[in-house]
This record gives sequence, C-alpha cells and structure tokens, in this order.
Amino acid sequence: MALLEIKNLHAEIDGKKILNGIDLTVNAGEIHAIMGPNGSGKSTLCNVLGGHEGYEVTQGSITFDGHDLLEMETEERAVAGLLLGFQHPVEIPGVKNIYLLKEALNAKREAQGLDEIDTFSFMKQVRELVASMDMDDSFLHRGVNAGFSGGEKKRNEILQMLLLEPKIALLDETDSGLDIDALKIVSASINRMRDEERGIILVTHYQRLLNYVEPDFVHILYEGRIVKSGDKTLAQRLEAEGYQDILEEAS
Amino acid sequence: MKRVELPEWLSAALPEQTVAPAEVARAARSQVESLGLPGPRDEEWRWTNLRAIQRGRFNASTGAVGADIEPSTRLPLENPVRLRFVDGVFQGLPDDLPTDVTITALADADEASRVAAFSPKPAPSVDNPNDALVTLNTAMAREGVVIDVAASAVIERPIVIEWLDGATESVMSHPRILVRLGQSAAATLIEHIETVGDQPIWRNSVIVASIAANAALTHIALGLDGDARLATERSFAELDRDARYYNYNVQLGGQMIRREYDIHVGGSGAHTDLFGLMMPRGKQVLDTHTRITHAAADTTSNEHYRTIVDDSGRGIFKGRILIEKDAQRIEAYQSSNNLILSDDAEIDAKPELEIYADDVKCSHGATIGRLDDEALYYLQSRGVPEAAARNLLIAGFAQEVIDEIPLVELRDWLTEHVEQRLVEQIARSERNA
Repeated sequence: MALLEIKNLHAEIDGKKILNGIDLTVNAGEIHAIMGPNGSGKSTLCNVLGGHEGYEVTQGSITFDGHDLLEMETEERAVAGLLLGFQHPVEIPGVKNIYLLKEALNAKREAQGLDEIDTFSFMKQVRELVASMDMDDSFLHRGVNAGFSGGEKKRNEILQMLLLEPKIALLDETDSGLDIDALKIVSASINRMRDEERGIILVTHYQRLLNYVEPDFVHILYEGRIVKSGDKTLAQRLEAEGYQDILEEAS
Repeated sequence: MKRVELPEWLSAALPEQTVAPAEVARAARSQVESLGLPGPRDEEWRWTNLRAIQRGRFNASTGAVGADIEPSTRLPLENPVRLRFVDGVFQGLPDDLPTDVTITALADADEASRVAAFSPKPAPSVDNPNDALVTLNTAMAREGVVIDVAASAVIERPIVIEWLDGATESVMSHPRILVRLGQSAAATLIEHIETVGDQPIWRNSVIVASIAANAALTHIALGLDGDARLATERSFAELDRDARYYNYNVQLGGQMIRREYDIHVGGSGAHTDLFGLMMPRGKQVLDTHTRITHAAADTTSNEHYRTIVDDSGRGIFKGRILIEKDAQRIEAYQSSNNLILSDDAEIDAKPELEIYADDVKCSHGATIGRLDDEALYYLQSRGVPEAAARNLLIAGFAQEVIDEIPLVELRDWLTEHVEQRLVEQIARSERNA
C-alpha cells in the first residue's frame, strides 16, 4: 500500500521556484534514497513534507496514509506518523531532552486515543534507547541539542525516531558530518527500524550511508525533479562516475 | 527642576519619630521636601515613572502586630525562619531562632546598629534621584529588623522576609532591614513578596547587607503575582575581602516594581553573582537597576538578566558596572537577554560600563528577540501543538535563570509555577481574543 504519494509537486520559497514536478511513491516496507547535488531541492522537499511555513506549494498533491498532507499542520503530520530528521537540528537551550521526548510521545499517544505514558515505563524505554545509541543518560537532562556536536545532534534525531516509531521516517542528510563510528550506530538504528509497516526515505549527499543501509530504490534529484530512478546499483554508479555522466544520460 | 514635588499627602504623613537615630531622621526629614520624587526627566527614570504613587494618596501603615494574614503561596522551604511584615509592620520574632542568629526589631536595636542600618554604602546623595526614595525611607521608617549572623556560623535554615501588603487599603510602608554576616558566616535571605488585596499599595523598602570577610550571603527575591502592588525596593550590599553575594531576583507580578541594587565589591577576592528573571504581562511594569562597584583589585562579578514581556507589559533592565582606578585584575561579565511576545510589549535594556582601571576583563551583551521560528517548527515537527511549543520555549528561556537558584526545592517549585502561569496566559489571551 502506498504510504506516501507525491504527485507533480511544485514548490517555491520567496517566489523562487525550487521544486518543478516531483513524483514519488513510497510503499510500506520500502527504503528510498534520494540523492542529488547541492541546490537540487533535497532540503526543500523535506521541508515541504515537514510543513515548514516558509515554503509554498504551487502545484501538485501529497497523500500520506490516505490523508491530504498539505492540509495538515506540522504537528498533525508528526502525530499521524511522519517524522522528519533534520539536517541541522536547532539548539533549544532550557528545554530538556527528556521533556521534549515525553511531550512528543504523549502528543502521539493522545492522537491515537491512548493515555499519557506512565513515568516508569517511559524512563525504562528511553534509557534502553539511549544505551542502544551509545549515548550517556546525562544527555536526557541537557537542553535539546544545546552545545551538542554535529554527531550528537544526528544521534538525537535518530533517538527521537526510535521512540516515536513513525510510519514514514524522512532523514535529511542524517549521515553528513558523521564519523565512521557514529555512522555505524546510526545506520544500525535505521536498519532496526526497517520493517513491513514502515517507509524510510534517506535524503543524502553521499553514497557511503548506502553501504550500511541498503535502499530498495535510489532516485536522483536535479533542478527540482527526479531525473533518474533505479535500484542500489544507481548509487554505486554515482559514486564511481559522478553526477555529470548520469545527468547527461538522463537528459 | 527635574524632580517632582513631594505630594502633599506624603509631606503630611512625615512622622515625628522613626526608628532611625534621631540625628539621621532629622537630616532626612529636612531633605525630603527639596528632594521630592524622581521625575520622568531624570535619566534614571526615563522608562518608569511614579505617577501611580503621586496620585495614590497612600496612608502610612497603622497596622498592628497580630494581623491575621497568611501568604497564599507556600514556598517549599525546609524549616524557614519567618519574619513577617504585614503592610510593613513587623509581626514579631519567631520562637525558635537558630543559635548564632540574632534578630532585633530596629526600634529595640542599639544605637550602633541603627546607625549602620541607615548608613549604606554608597551614602545617599542629593545628586542621585534614586536616593530620594532612600532618604524618604529614612524619614518615614517606623519598622524594621536587624539580622545578625555570628562569625563562622553556617545557617542552613533560610531566613524569609514575607512582605505581605494590602491587608488595609491604600497603605504605604517604608520598612528598613539590616543584615550583617560575621566573618566566614553563610546565610540565605529570601524575600517572599505578595500582595493580599486588590487595592493599590506602595512599599518603599530598603535592605542593607554588610558581608564581612569570607562570608557569603545568598539573597533571593520572589515577587509573586498581584496586580495592585507598587513597590520601590532598594538593596545595598557591601562586600569585604573574599566575601560573596549571590543574588537571584525573580519578578512575576506587580503594577509597577522598581528594584535597585547597589553592590559594593570592596575587598579583594570578593565576588558577586546577580541573576534576574522578570515576566511582565498585562500592563505591568517590572524594572530592575543594578549598580556594581568594583572598588578593590582581584574582584569578580557575573550578572545575567532575562526578561519575558507579554501583552502591553514593560520590562526594564539597566545594569551599571563601575571599575575604580586602582581596582586591577577585575573580571566582570554582564548579559541581558530579552524575549518579546506581543506587539504591544516593550523592553528597555541598557548596559553601562565605566572602567578606570586598565587590567580588566569586562564584557556585556544585550539581545532582544521574539520566539525562534525554527525552534517552534522543530518542536511542532515532533508533534507538540503550537501553543504548547511556544510555552515550552518560553519556559525554557526562563529556566536558564531558574536553574541558577541554589535551593533545589525552590527551583522546582518555580519551574512549575512559571509553567502554570504560561498555561494561564494561554487562557487569558483566548479570553481577550
């Protein structure tokens, strides 16, 4: 079943056209990698899916799990199960991680008609996840991303994803700037999330992540459109030949 | 003439006798008429004015001891020493004072203590408009206490001054407090400020703290909700060698609150911390002025203020740091961060550095901003609804000051209190919308 269906999506920011007709279907159980050079529209696509107010959709439609995504507020998208892992997670000093995790989980539970989680089960679950990400418990009582290194921020994004168990996980350059140990932990967690019910979209600049997380489909984004799609071998070709040849071939 | 004439009702209320030494009181009485009240043309009073006081027609408090008034807020403090003032009238000594702490009503104190209570440093000057209110306090003071902490005593129980104002209507009071810490002593003083009625009241209080060598005073002020409060509050702290003065100033309510601190860092090795949180809303004006004087070498200060203004509220912070000529090897840091939540809100922030020494590390910074849209988006992208996300960010901004408060129970209580207040604020805005 199609979890996410993007049709002929056009979007702009401050009157500047960035997306020029994207078509993409993600079914439950699939991992899609979206690759593209700088400025190809990768982050815009993520922000449009996330519901960022700065982006205007001028044409096209997005259906998420049977709902018109473009009619939903950012927080409604999240509780319905679409979760965006940010390329540059913002620092929010003063708001403790543990606090955000609990608010986020309870928001989702409320949308599902469940009671608030009891503190004991919550702490137990969170501590296990923190340990699985090779992070220290003390992080829970620090401000959200405040003073985190780049790698810590990305791990934090994955941690939230593990806790919130989205239907669609959209990871915007989660692998950028990670050293190899962190990359292994992050990719192991993504592989752990891989299941029949869930769709995962990896937006990435580098092929390296795909050595650890094997995608079902690879798409090349260029000038706001998907110009070529294929299986994982497309990413390998990209690594070997560079964008130029493939883009020429596509046009 | 920059100043405003003393209103007639105020002149008429000048008492024959106060708790100040006779000479001091006489001198103050002879000055108050010519000093008048600070007016809007005084540079120090550009943003806050005393009009509500001038027009107020306040009566000198005649309250009696034994008033049946309790604060509505119970602070979570371990066995505090409570000094209750109802409309400025001291309600008497608690039975169980800790050993090493002596508390005396000013009227019963010896001459030397009364002189000390009325001789803060810097001495009030006719040139300083702010000092007109201190002189007025001297001329009007009928109540006060002297708190003495013996040398080397470490007092675990917090000493709480409860300012409960408004038991009678339109009352004014001019209480005076002297706190003296002996050498190497340590104590915590908390001002619990609450207005009990809904008619305007005015309290013009002065606290003088004298901190001997190597002693440490923690001074926390909690100005809680109460729209009827007009207050002009002045604190002096004089620090001897290696002394520390830790100040936490939290102002959450009042119609017009002007709080001023004069910290005289006068002995080498002395240090002061000043943390402040002000959250005006409605039409509240919350104003703090601090003046830190580094008068000795090898002294340090660290000051951090945050203001969050909503509705048509007004938040004012002015921080002056003066480093005297021979005060070398000074480190002094100041920051003022301000969050503005509504189009009608106003923030005035003014740092002022005056440096006469040359071996100094000194910095200051002020920011004024709105809630960060990207942070809001981030929280919403985790499923937190917009109103709750806004409150998380506001509470987080406040939390960075609250986290500095050394009493953990008080810190947790304040965190919850601020959150509760923000939830109420959503309901208030919805009602007004």
